[in-house]
Amino acid sequence: MSTITQKICLLGDFNVGKTSLVRRFIEDKFSDRYLSTVGVKVSRKSVNLTTEDVRQVNFLIWDLEGNTKFKSITPSYLKGASGSIVVADLTRTETIENLNLHLQLFSEVNPQSKIIVALNKADLIPPEKLAKLVENFRSQSSEAVVEIYTTSAKTGEYVNEMFQLMAQLLIANN
Amino acid sequence: MNFEPIEPANLANTQDFDLCNWEQLENLVESLIEQDRQDKIKTKRSSPEELARAIAKILPAAIEREIQSNPEAIAKAIAPEIALSIRKQIALDEEAIPQTLGPEMGKAIKAQIESEKDAMVDALYPVIGSTIAKYMVEVVQDINHKIESTLSPEGFKRKFRAKMQGVSEAELIFKESIGYHVRAIFLIAKDSGLVIQEIQIAGEKHLDADMLAGMLTAIRSFANDCIVSDSELDSIDYGDWQIPIEVAGYCYLAVIVAGEPPKEFITKIRRVLGEIVLKYDRAIRDFDGNLATVPVGIESKLQQLIEENQKKRRKSASPLLLWLAIAILIIILVPWGMNKHRTQRIQQIEQQTAIELDAVPELSVYRLDPEIDKDRLIITGRVPSREHRDRAEQIVRPIAEQNNLKLNNQILTVDVPVDPSLATGEIQRLTNLFNRQPGVEIETTYRDKILTVTGHTLNNYTRQITQAFSQIPGVERVIFKLDDRLPKIPQRIYFDSGSTKVKTDSMDKIAAIAKILKQYPAIHLKLTAHSDGIGAVAFNQRLGRKRCNKVKQALSARGIDSSRLMDSCDSLSLTQEDNDSAARSERYVSFEPFIPLNQ
Repeated sequence: MSTITQKICLLGDFNVGKTSLVRRFIEDKFSDRYLSTVGVKVSRKSVNLTTEDVRQVNFLIWDLEGNTKFKSITPSYLKGASGSIVVADLTRTETIENLNLHLQLFSEVNPQSKIIVALNKADLIPPEKLAKLVENFRSQSSEAVVEIYTTSAKTGEYVNEMFQLMAQLLIANN
Repeated sequence: MNFEPIEPANLANTQDFDLCNWEQLENLVESLIEQDRQDKIKTKRSSPEELARAIAKILPAAIEREIQSNPEAIAKAIAPEIALSIRKQIALDEEAIPQTLGPEMGKAIKAQIESEKDAMVDALYPVIGSTIAKYMVEVVQDINHKIESTLSPEGFKRKFRAKMQGVSEAELIFKESIGYHVRAIFLIAKDSGLVIQEIQIAGEKHLDADMLAGMLTAIRSFANDCIVSDSELDSIDYGDWQIPIEVAGYCYLAVIVAGEPPKEFITKIRRVLGEIVLKYDRAIRDFDGNLATVPVGIESKLQQLIEENQKKRRKSASPLLLWLAIAILIIILVPWGMNKHRTQRIQQIEQQTAIELDAVPELSVYRLDPEIDKDRLIITGRVPSREHRDRAEQIVRPIAEQNNLKLNNQILTVDVPVDPSLATGEIQRLTNLFNRQPGVEIETTYRDKILTVTGHTLNNYTRQITQAFSQIPGVERVIFKLDDRLPKIPQRIYFDSGSTKVKTDSMDKIAAIAKILKQYPAIHLKLTAHSDGIGAVAFNQRLGRKRCNKVKQALSARGIDSSRLMDSCDSLSLTQEDNDSAARSERYVSFEPFIPLNQ
């Protein structure tokens, strides 16, 4: 079994649920308490993939503090990342609008890297409205985005699937 | 079936009744008793489960009400069961109580520290104290070991290092005892923070390399971007730990070290990283997170850092090196000891010589330095005269002979410039002193360090005078022009019989006498009148006195001070020797020079 270690970054506005997604993925836990991430938090989790042979992807997840156009993050944090999950909050449209800014920032630093968009807090949105929001965003999203997921860190919806896809993308890239 | 509680409204009615209306009261009591009886019947009929359900409805409200009205009673009722309740709860769910109390523990401890610091210190002391004690025992053992190995090459090296660095050896020993050891080494990709190669020491707690590398990289990035750009974070310290960081090419090397690593170790880290980058630069640049692609050579290079550190920890003094050190010491110490003894002996002799020279009054004012060079005792210094030089030699020679040394007298005699006024004063003093002696009449002239003494000295004073003047400091040469006899004045002034007139032909003699007196200003003259004896004595005496006066007048007229002329003309002197001479020749005044007694 071969193992590769890969750095991925979580980007997005503040309070969209980046840290909660990571926590759900790593610990399978959720808390309603909002704790703002200062700087960066690095976590690690391995994902096993069964393709033609068993392979393991060792994720080094850089959960970056939420940023806005008024408060930029340290660009060095993005360097050397193979992939990125850019997160928005479905209940706050401005965070969806800002997605492109984050995508652009990440692509500038890592042009070849894979990007997945997570539209988070899907549990708070009625299903009919959800599909519409996703379609709206899909129509205007950049080509760099490989997939868009409507996730919920609270229920765990699509969280593991999203990271599994990221693992596959990175293996394929490797 | 529902339990019907007594409505407070029913009780409220009791407040309205009239105490005097006994009938009404009796009725009310009866109705209450009846209701209670019925309730009891009802209760007996209910199952415990139904009863619990019925009470449950009112219990929270009842407790709340009771807490408000009588909190102490409730506290008293519940208190004994709290500990038991917590135990029960822990039995039911182990995590529940710690999870509930956990977050508050920090605050509780903080509050307790603020309010009662000493109590907290006392409580924690057994734990912290023993931890520190255990650590210190290890350090002390290590120090002991180091002190025991004082004679080892490391011991000497440490002594030397302590001297060079200007710190105490104890400080160095302590530093070494606390020491440093490498716990782990990570070669990390600079941008991604992925671990390219890790080495961890067996037996140490395993560190999560990926997380550590990730966080270190994040800290580096933060420092580079937000604190100072274009410079590097070169070390992270936390407590007793240090993480020296060396950056080169596409990677950086982080070494986790306990204690304080010396400069040499940092240099070594730099060198090892340099070698790695030089050789494996491409592999590092292309590293994609797959550890299988990392060249094997990198690990062996990094291993060097660990091996040296461990070797150092294990290294102990070898007996061969110890004996070698002792042999070298003997070779150095024996000649050094002999030399030291000789130096002490030399110092003693020099000191003794200096003391003896100083004990001689005339030499004590001059600086004379005795010095021993091989087998010679050399005296150097300056004295004003040869006598002083010889005197010094005379004192030092026995000391030299006693210690089998050859004497080398290098004392120089030099002209000491003497204050001219001192010399002049001394000359004047001596001149006055000698002039007070009977028969001494001298004059002194001092010019260009040459003293000229002129005059007359009778009564054998000549030797004393020459000695005294020769010894005056500042007088280089003395010219004596001393006469121990007075000039003779053989002239006689003759007179005609009965006459007091100085004859014209006698004037030459007067002039000659005056000349002598002028030549010797210190000389006085005694005049004596001689008579031919013709006539009465009184007459001749008077005549003699008059003749003396005439001669005095004649000399005075020639510029001679009359005070220098003393006559003894009152007593008439018969010239015996001239009895046979012509009568004329018996009437004369004769002269006798003399030196008056100075007062």
